[in-house]
Amino acid sequence: MPSEPRTPAEPTLEELSAYLDHELDSAAEARVADHVAACDQCRARLEGLRETAHAIRALPMETPPRRFTIPEQRRRGWRWAPAGWIGSAAVALLLIAVGIQNLHLPAGPTATSGSFSTNSGGLANAPATRSEKGAVPPLSAPSPFTQQFDAQSAGAATNAATVVDSSNSARRLYPANDRMRVTVQLIGSPSTSLQSADQGLTLTLVRNGQGVALRPVGVESFNGTPIFGGWYDLASFPLSAPLAGDYRLQATWLIPDGSGRVLQVSVPVRIAG
Amino acid sequence: MFPSNNSNDDRDLVGRARRGDREAFTQLIVQYQVPLYNMALRMVGKPDDAADIAQEAFLRAWEKIRTLREAPFKSWLFQIAANLCYDHFRRGRRYGVMPDEEITSNVVGLGIATPGPQERAEANERTRLVRDCIQALDHDMRIAIVLRDVNGMAYEEIAAVLRVPLGTVKSRIARARAQVQEQLQRHPDFFPTTEDAHAE
Repeated sequence: MPSEPRTPAEPTLEELSAYLDHELDSAAEARVADHVAACDQCRARLEGLRETAHAIRALPMETPPRRFTIPEQRRRGWRWAPAGWIGSAAVALLLIAVGIQNLHLPAGPTATSGSFSTNSGGLANAPATRSEKGAVPPLSAPSPFTQQFDAQSAGAATNAATVVDSSNSARRLYPANDRMRVTVQLIGSPSTSLQSADQGLTLTLVRNGQGVALRPVGVESFNGTPIFGGWYDLASFPLSAPLAGDYRLQATWLIPDGSGRVLQVSVPVRIAG
Repeated sequence: MFPSNNSNDDRDLVGRARRGDREAFTQLIVQYQVPLYNMALRMVGKPDDAADIAQEAFLRAWEKIRTLREAPFKSWLFQIAANLCYDHFRRGRRYGVMPDEEITSNVVGLGIATPGPQERAEANERTRLVRDCIQALDHDMRIAIVLRDVNGMAYEEIAAVLRVPLGTVKSRIARARAQVQEQLQRHPDFFPTTEDAHAE
């Protein structure tokens, strides 16, 4: 509380805070210093701000959970690499398999006419990663691997339709309700970890260059093959309207062997309106 | 905790990186990965999200570095990461953040060489409280105080990163500190004020 007639005007909160940071010009700094020296209340305010700043600065600096890298070649597009990585399966010994069973159906027996394909990704100089967890978590613990392509045992509703991959009848697109199930196998991974960050796995649902990251959850390691998956509630996705439309589910795998190699796979997904 | 201003050192690395030198850019990654990751971590709360943001920021910087002219690399890089943080909030806001999931095993230095269980528990609780207070700030105040008190940037540098006037930076930092202070004062056991200390 100013008590002396000649005490400079009481500093504002902004001035006290900037005074702490030595961000005032010399005249203002001198004025605040003079005032604080004579005013217990402002001195206490200043000390409170100082202690707060110290508490924040005392937060530990943490090491990143993974190494940051750049691809050997710059990306061609803005975010989602075009299909240059599809096709050269013969090059890769490591494979990604992606399965989608359920797509959105509003209600009733109308079948979703989504096609299904699984592209074993070729070796690529694709972007190392895209947000793997920042967005949509699965609804609950994923089902076990044995149900991965078994639409019937998934216990789904009767008003569903199944689309079978013509190249592999074991793969089916099985839309029901308003959930989507995704499973990803990392065949040939040098690691059995079920942490997606350890595996370098990211999943993204993409349309028109915009994507929603899905959080892959480790399900199990089956004969050494890590399997990720989850049920995702399409209604809760922060997708731009209209929700219905054609998307692609992109899986990107930065193989955790230190080579920097990336496999990607893209699966078309149609969400019925 | 406060990184030095490496703009002179950056200049050579940036020049080489602009000519496509990956090694030079990798050195820039090494130089900035911890402060950039920690900025993102204090903004979004979750280590994996923060790592995603940092990774994407480096990728975009690598792709766009040829367009970098006069601006200091550090401010430019943090500007990219700040924009990604805002993108993160826009896309995933309905899911919120879970700062309690933060991985304490990644802590670099606890300050005390061998704290006992009690001290460690108290330090962890203090860290949690401060972290939660920062998370409770609105995004504009949060990024201002993070850039200042976590990353140690000068006001002018923060203004460049956020592309706002200096007065706005000053105001946001002050209001953020006042808000955090108010929250921390609700926990006098962990954050005794100077007055409390004198009273004892």
